[in-house]
Amino acid sequence: MTGLVGRGVARVDGRAKVTGAARYAADHEIPGMLHGHLVLSTVARGEITELDTSAALALPGVVAVLTHRDLPPLRVPSFPYLKGFVPMQDTRVHHSGQPVAHVVAETPEQAREAANLVRVRYRAERPTAHLAHALDEAFLPPLFRDEPNEFVRGDAGAALEAAAVRVEQDYSSPMMHHNPIEPHSSTAVWDGNSLTLYESAQGIVFTRRVVSIAFDLPEANIRIISPYLGGGFGAKGPTWSHTLLNAAVAREVGRPVRVTLTRAQMYTMNGHRAEYRRNLRLGATREGRLTAIVDTSTAQLTRTDHGVYNTSESTLRLYDCPNVHVRQLGVRLDLPSSSYMRSPETTAHFGLETALDELAHELGVDPVELRIRNHASADPHSGEPYSSKHLLDCYRIAARAFGWARRDPRPGSMRDGNVRVGWGMATETHTFSAIQSNVELTVDVDGRATLRAATQEIGTGTYTVITQVAADELGMPLEHVTTLLGDTAYPDAALSAASATVASVIGPVSQAAQDARKAVIALAVADPRSPLHGVPAEDVVAERGYLFARGDRGRRDSYRGALARHGRPVIVTGSRLNSSGHSYGAVFVEVRFDPRLATLRVSRVVTAYDPGRVLNHRTAHGQVIGGVTWGIGFALMEHTMVDPHTARVVNPNLSTYLVPVSADTPSVESFFVDRPDKGSTALGARGFGETPGTGVPAAIGNAIFHATGRRLRDVPFTRDKLL
Amino acid sequence: MKDFAYVAAPDVATAVRAAADAPGARFLAGGTNLVDLMRQHVERPDTVVDISRLPLTSVEETKSGGLRIGALMRNSDLAAHPLVRTRYPMLTQALLAGASAQLRNMATVGGNLLQRTRCPYFYDRATPCHKREPGTGCAAVGGFNRSHAILGTSASCVATHPSDMCVALAALDAVVEVEDVRGTRRIPLADLHRLPGDTPHLETTLAPDELITSVELPAPAAAPSRYRKVRDRASFAFALVSVAAALEVTDGTVAAVRLALGGVAPKPWRAVEAERVLTGAPATEESFRAAADAELAPAVTLDGNEFKVELARRTIVATLRDLAREGSRA
Amino acid sequence: MRVTIEVNGERRTADDVWPGESLLYVLRERLGLPGAKNACEQGECGSCTVYLDDTPVCACLVAAGQAEGRSVRTVEGLAGGDGLDPVQEAFVATGAVQCGFCTPGLIVAAHELVHRDPGATDAEIREALAGNLCRCTGYEKILDAVRLAAAKKAGERA
Repeated sequence: MTGLVGRGVARVDGRAKVTGAARYAADHEIPGMLHGHLVLSTVARGEITELDTSAALALPGVVAVLTHRDLPPLRVPSFPYLKGFVPMQDTRVHHSGQPVAHVVAETPEQAREAANLVRVRYRAERPTAHLAHALDEAFLPPLFRDEPNEFVRGDAGAALEAAAVRVEQDYSSPMMHHNPIEPHSSTAVWDGNSLTLYESAQGIVFTRRVVSIAFDLPEANIRIISPYLGGGFGAKGPTWSHTLLNAAVAREVGRPVRVTLTRAQMYTMNGHRAEYRRNLRLGATREGRLTAIVDTSTAQLTRTDHGVYNTSESTLRLYDCPNVHVRQLGVRLDLPSSSYMRSPETTAHFGLETALDELAHELGVDPVELRIRNHASADPHSGEPYSSKHLLDCYRIAARAFGWARRDPRPGSMRDGNVRVGWGMATETHTFSAIQSNVELTVDVDGRATLRAATQEIGTGTYTVITQVAADELGMPLEHVTTLLGDTAYPDAALSAASATVASVIGPVSQAAQDARKAVIALAVADPRSPLHGVPAEDVVAERGYLFARGDRGRRDSYRGALARHGRPVIVTGSRLNSSGHSYGAVFVEVRFDPRLATLRVSRVVTAYDPGRVLNHRTAHGQVIGGVTWGIGFALMEHTMVDPHTARVVNPNLSTYLVPVSADTPSVESFFVDRPDKGSTALGARGFGETPGTGVPAAIGNAIFHATGRRLRDVPFTRDKLL
Repeated sequence: MKDFAYVAAPDVATAVRAAADAPGARFLAGGTNLVDLMRQHVERPDTVVDISRLPLTSVEETKSGGLRIGALMRNSDLAAHPLVRTRYPMLTQALLAGASAQLRNMATVGGNLLQRTRCPYFYDRATPCHKREPGTGCAAVGGFNRSHAILGTSASCVATHPSDMCVALAALDAVVEVEDVRGTRRIPLADLHRLPGDTPHLETTLAPDELITSVELPAPAAAPSRYRKVRDRASFAFALVSVAAALEVTDGTVAAVRLALGGVAPKPWRAVEAERVLTGAPATEESFRAAADAELAPAVTLDGNEFKVELARRTIVATLRDLAREGSRA
Repeated sequence: MRVTIEVNGERRTADDVWPGESLLYVLRERLGLPGAKNACEQGECGSCTVYLDDTPVCACLVAAGQAEGRSVRTVEGLAGGDGLDPVQEAFVATGAVQCGFCTPGLIVAAHELVHRDPGATDAEIREALAGNLCRCTGYEKILDAVRLAAAKKAGERA
């Protein structure tokens, strides 16, 4: 170990990214490639009655226009294909913006114009577009991924009835879209019965499975390549229909085809955060101990699937409350399928952390103190102890750095001239998954190492952290280790979602690197030509690519020397398992509100986290800034508008679907407890990416209440709600 | 994007001749609006006359003490021009409040005058829109209309004019010079844009082949002026409400005022009624409120944009108050 | 039509260009320069920012014919040879890069800002870069990168 782990080393892929050399899904040059463009339905519910492709086909450069009449049957894949149906298999329209034809042409512009010339007639039925229009049809959806939608602990109804203090409120949030800056792109290249896809995929192994099911092809015949992703935030975790349709079309036309979705198409093709309402009832003692939580949420579902993604995990597990009743209801609407979107638990957590602030105000208890009084020192639902949890430290560290002790709790009491200052806080938490992952590590004859794994770099720093851990365990300089990701030709590994990558991949990487080091040391000490010949293997240390006898550094060999003499590479694998869990933190926010024009600014954010061991402080801090910015977007502006009559997305672009720009974001301070979690095989690191930001919407709303005395329970908190 | 004939015009005469010869032709300058609309299939011209190389990029002082600005001057260059910065700071502020640095580097004065609405239904060809396709209907009236207009609307159209620059030009009494094969003419800015009425697709009083060649600003007033834009994020967003104002106060009385509004109307909205109420009135908060109320009295709101009345009122009052304070300090 | 553009200091010609193609398309698909990214095609995100005659523009909104005879500089051409431009170095050094997709456009915009106004205040930097949306980094490190590159630039001048 050379102390690389934990250090904020610069990204190993930084150079490729700042020079434009990194190749994203739409950047790969494929000889003979055609360009596809999807034609999407303009009605939300009904039947296609007529589909005229003649004008499109007549356009120069157009090779084919395929519809449900032309495509072979494709099987509907299981998770993580979320749609519940494959489009272009029949005439039924399930939502506006559903593919009804796929145009293929020599250039993208020709394909786009031809798509515009495809004439489609529908027999349209009246769609239902909003939760409010169908709340009376809410139902408890069946199991999704083996998980129920109702959880009962104790007797929440009775406990609520008996509670000394109660808070009951409704909280809501609109549909939101991931909007990774990179649009989805898929390039299908067939060679006989084998398919290669250049894909913007957060989980290439999962994409391979989905494609295998849809086309009834062995997985061995399918290769997915995705070396770089331009963000995903969940949008590229599931495999979506454009990938399947484009591959089918490429097979039909007998040439490689690339389809890159337009920004507008991304609003109906790739999932979203569902519109969501929630009724929360909290019961507590006068001292502020929670005695009951009754949590009834309603999320938007479709008529073709019933996935609930905005789960009430934090109600169930964050606080020590003996009586909890969670029901995650759904309403079927004529909209595209929703899906996971960065930190999906934020949606529900916003309500809980706001309700706690309301309870704190009601009781006259400090909001931090209220959370401390309800801190769970064992998992409240399972009763099992935590292998490690330092949330109380997070409250303390962040509160002190923020200066929380100086807060006057009376709403409207803190002013700066005309500007009202508000301070609010919330707990941050999110689950992370651990997914079985395998890596292969080769130490080549030149003494350098290459690590291969079919996980991907989504932007969080996977290339860097893997390289860092491997170099550290091997005792090599960083630049002697190359990490190759994003190709299913490598061993199966985790998806870049559910905060799973570090938790899933680092254990196997560390294991493989240790084994490789031991194997090379064993070669050296057994080799009469090595200066280390005869030294007990356990007395050999590796540093900066060299191998030393402990206590006699004059006896020195190197990876390069040992491997050169060995004459062939050393290849090892790693597959150490890990378990899922939670990461924790606290966020404190200052807002400045000018009542004259109802101008609100988030002026200060201080955070502290317990993600177990921090593998790279720089990338970890990067996740915090990014997550907080997402929290600001969620709280203040993000909102997909759906027309109530047509169920079409009204703002499918980046000028009316607003995401924060630079000037909306303050600088973000972050602190880390940085103590290894003994329960994690990833060198004590837990999954972390989705924890930052989960508490931010509530913390902002709580700060607005503190500044103004007005309690907002429906995001986004736009100016019209603050006037 | 539909195939089209592309004419790169080396001079104004060629440009207007090409436009006259090809009905439905569009002039292409900075491209920030037209290229976008063509790619969205909202604009489908058969001929595009590229005017981006015409030598209309100068700023000259006029005999009457004003400025003549070439129609192809880029927004960023105009904002940074010393004569504009010092004599018409409101215009610089308005230009810099618009779009992003990249777009300001592309967008021209003439193009900005003809910028088309960002009503989302105008952009969505699957929905009815009288402006895009006369006679089809208006999806915004019963749909999502939080960003829509409250003044000057009709049953046919509630879209707003999106330009920031034009609001300042309206307040400054700019005059637009246009040319076609028949000759040149001058149009006061107030008469350039039309209200929608029953014909929202007719947005200006220009003939289709008339080319804007320059914009003339009258001599600047000495009064303090300001452009204030209120939007949903800190930068790079269209106005919910914007105000361009200049206020001259003498002995506590409003001697002269110019006031124009953006984000609330289908055209850059000169607040004539407010100016009438203010002129000669005491420069007090009460007068400012009365003026705002008078201007906004005819406002017609929809489900989603009711807040704009109050927001416009407050923005007018706050801007005038700041200018009165600034004037009294000077 | 034939379009001749000076790209990163080299005269490049593309034949059979359709006038409706964007400069972005010409660069990416015809001239083998995929550095500038296609992300919104509406001038709303800045990912396709390139220099057109020394001015940063959204290449997605420049019609191919408009680029005829002009000079274009992309992220691939900012540094000479194998080196990195100080702005590129600063982006790596400060951790201003995450997924990297908005990065090429941001680097061109930042490059212009640092050269035009190395003394820009934080507020000016934020406003100057408002046309470049980033969904991963949250901007703070990008500001650090601009400050670092500007400081280096100022040092060179002194």
